[in-house]
Amino acid sequence: MTFGYLVRRVLQMIPTFIGATLLAFLIIQAAPGDFTDRFILEPNMDAAQLERMEARFGLDKPVPLQYLNWMWSLLRFGYLGESFSYRAPVNVVIIPLIWNSMSLVLVSLFLTYLLTIPIAVISAVRQYSFLDKAVTFLSFFGLAIPNFFFILVLIVGVLMLQPVLRDLGAGDSIFGALIRPLSYDLERGLLFPVGGMRTSQIYDQLTVWGKLQDRFWHLVLPVLVVTTASLASLVRVLRGQMLEFLRADFVRTARAKGLAESTVTYKHALRNALNPLISSTGAILPELVGGAGLVEFVVRWPGITPAFVAAIAAQDIYIIMGLLTLSAVLLMIGNLLADVLLVTVDPRIRYS
Amino acid sequence: MAEFAPRKRVVRRDSQAMSQWAVAWQQFRKHRLAMFSLYALVVFYLLALFADTIAPYGEAQSFRRGAENRSFAPPTRIYWRDAETGRLSWPFVYPVSASRDLRTLRLVYTEDRTQAYPVRLFVRGHSYVPPPLTLVPPQIRKRLQLNWETDRHLFGVEFPATIYLWGADQFGRDVFGRILFGARISLTIGIFASLISLSLGLVLGGLSGYYGGVLDDALMRFVEVLATIPSLFLLLALRALFPLDVNPSTVFLIVITILGFIRWGPIARVVRGLALSLREEEFVQAARALGGSDARILLRHLLPGTAAYAIVAFSLLIPGFILTEAGLSFLGLGINEPASSWGLMLAVAQEGGIQTFTSRPWMLLPGLFIFVTVLAFNFVGDGLRDALDPKLRT
Repeated sequence: MTFGYLVRRVLQMIPTFIGATLLAFLIIQAAPGDFTDRFILEPNMDAAQLERMEARFGLDKPVPLQYLNWMWSLLRFGYLGESFSYRAPVNVVIIPLIWNSMSLVLVSLFLTYLLTIPIAVISAVRQYSFLDKAVTFLSFFGLAIPNFFFILVLIVGVLMLQPVLRDLGAGDSIFGALIRPLSYDLERGLLFPVGGMRTSQIYDQLTVWGKLQDRFWHLVLPVLVVTTASLASLVRVLRGQMLEFLRADFVRTARAKGLAESTVTYKHALRNALNPLISSTGAILPELVGGAGLVEFVVRWPGITPAFVAAIAAQDIYIIMGLLTLSAVLLMIGNLLADVLLVTVDPRIRYS
Repeated sequence: MAEFAPRKRVVRRDSQAMSQWAVAWQQFRKHRLAMFSLYALVVFYLLALFADTIAPYGEAQSFRRGAENRSFAPPTRIYWRDAETGRLSWPFVYPVSASRDLRTLRLVYTEDRTQAYPVRLFVRGHSYVPPPLTLVPPQIRKRLQLNWETDRHLFGVEFPATIYLWGADQFGRDVFGRILFGARISLTIGIFASLISLSLGLVLGGLSGYYGGVLDDALMRFVEVLATIPSLFLLLALRALFPLDVNPSTVFLIVITILGFIRWGPIARVVRGLALSLREEEFVQAARALGGSDARILLRHLLPGTAAYAIVAFSLLIPGFILTEAGLSFLGLGINEPASSWGLMLAVAQEGGIQTFTSRPWMLLPGLFIFVTVLAFNFVGDGLRDALDPKLRT
C-alpha cells in the first residue's frame, strides 16, 4: 500500500516537472537577446563547446523542438547544456553550488525544527507569560527584518567587537585564554568569520578536523540568520496550533483521566499540533532556498543564488535553466518527503 | 472573554444593529499595536508625499566635485549654543572641508569654525513639483500645462555649508532625503503589487472554483507548477525578461508587474476553496433559481463572500512585497540610480564592505526603515485578521 502510494506520487511529479521546466524554458527563450549573440560578441568562444551544444540541442530549430532536445539529453545523458561564462558543462558547474547551498540550508532546517518545538510548546503552555510575549515579539522581529539587512547588522556587531577581542588576544589575561576556543580568530579580533565558506588561504593545508572546524565557523552567522527567519514563522504556526489543541475536548478528557500534564502536552496536544508543521515543510523549502539566497549573496557564500544572479546578468541561459530545474526537483522531493512523513505520523490520513 | 467586550457599546447605540464593517472596525481599534502601527504608517506615507519639501536637497542632487566634495560626509553637527557666549542660540552649522587622509586614503571632514551658517526655515533650493501634483504622471502634467514648481524646502543652510541630518552617500547626496524619496517607491510598490496579486488570485481562483472542470484543473496545475520554482528564482528569471538599464519609472512598473505575478498562486487556491463552498450555499442556489446570470452570481454573491479574506490577504501581502522589492533592488536588479529605494541604498552599504561599518554606519539606516515598515504592516494585517476573520488566526 505504501509502495503503491509512493509510485503514484512519483508519477504525479512527472507532469509538474515537465510544466516547471517548460515554463522556465519559455521564460528564458522570451528573454531579449539570443545566445548566438554571444558568439558574435565573443568570437573566441570555444568552438568545440558550440559544436557540442549544436549536436545535442539543434539550436537553429524551433523552440518546442529545442525543449524536447534539451529534455531528451537531460534524460538520456544527464546533460544540461554548456555554461558560457564558466566554459564548462552546466552539470560540472552547478553540482558544487548545490552542495554548498545545501550545507547551509540543511543545517538551518535541522536547527529550525530542533528549536521550534520546545519554543512553541513552552510559549503555548504558558500563554501570555513573559516568555510567551518575548517569543511573540521575537517572531515578529524575525518576520520583519530583511535577511540581508540582519546579516549586515551581525557583521557590524562582529566588527565592532574586533578591537576589544584583538586586545584580549594580544594580552595574556585569563579572559583571552577563555575566549580563544569560543572565537574564530582571536589574533585578528574576529569572533566569527564575516564572509566566505572557508578560509581560502589555509583551507587546503588543514587536517580533516581542522577543515570541519573551519567550515563550522563560517556557517555560524548565515545559519543564525536563515534559522531566525524560518523559526519565526514556524513558531507562530505551531504555537497557534498548540493553543487550539490545548483547549480541545480530548485534552480535557486526558486531564480528567488524571494523566500527567507533560503526557497531556506532548502526547495528546503536540502530537496533533505537529501536522501542519510537517505539511508546511514543503512550503518552507523554497523559502529557505530563496531566503538563504540574499544571505549567501552578502557573505559571499559560493551557493546557488549568487551564481543565479551572475547567470542572469551574463544571460548564461543554460546555467539559469539548470538551476531552475534542479531547485524545482529539490522542491518536489521535499514536498514528497513532507507528505510521506505526514502520512506516517498521522494515521487518519490515508494513502490516496 | 475579549470577544464579547463590545456588547456594552452596541447597547448604547440606540439598539440599531451594527454592520459587519462597523463591528470589524471596533475590533480593530482595540488592537493597540495595530492602531499604533496604522498611525506610524500614516506618518510614513505623509513623509513620503511631502519628501520634496521636507528634504533639504533634491533626490539626485549631489555634491561630489572638488571643494564641494561631500562623499560619505558624516551627519552634520547642529549647534544650539553660541561658541563665545555659550548661550542658547538659533541652531547653526559650520561648513566642512574635505581632505584626504594619506594613510587611509579616506576623505576626512573638518569643520571650519570661522563662520556660522544658521539653519533657515523655508529656504530656497532645488526646485520641484509640489506634492499633490507629483502624483500626476509627468506626461499628463505636460499636456494639461500644469507646470507649477516651487523651490521652498522646510529647512536648509546656505552653501558652502551643507546640512546632512543622517550623513551623505557616495555621491554626496543627503541620506535623510533619499530615505524619504525611497519611501515613495518602497511604500507604494507593495500596495500595487498586492493589488495585482489579489486581482489575479480573486479572478482566477473564483472562476476556477465556480466553474470547475477543465478550467479548474488547468489553473490549479499551473499554480502547482508556479509553486515548484522557488519564488526568488522565478522573480530573477522574470526580471531577465526586461532590460536592466531603463529609466526608473519603467523599472518601477516592471518590478510591480513581476512581483504581482509571483504571489497570486496561493491566493487563487484559497479563493477557489471559498468559491467551492460558497457555490453550494443556499443563497447562491436561490440566486441561480431566480435566473441570475453567472456574472451576477460571481460579482454579487461570491465576491463579497471573499471580502474578509481578500482584505486580510492584501494587508499581509504588502510587507512581503516590500521585503522582496528591497531584496531585488539590493541585488541591483530593481529600482536603479538616480532614483532611490531602501534596498538600493543598502546595496551601497554592502558594497562598502568593512568601511561601511567602521566609517559610515549611517548607510545602514534604510534597513531600519524597511524593518519598521514591514513590522507595522504585519501588525496592521494581524489586527485586520483578528477583526475580520477570527477563524484565520494562527
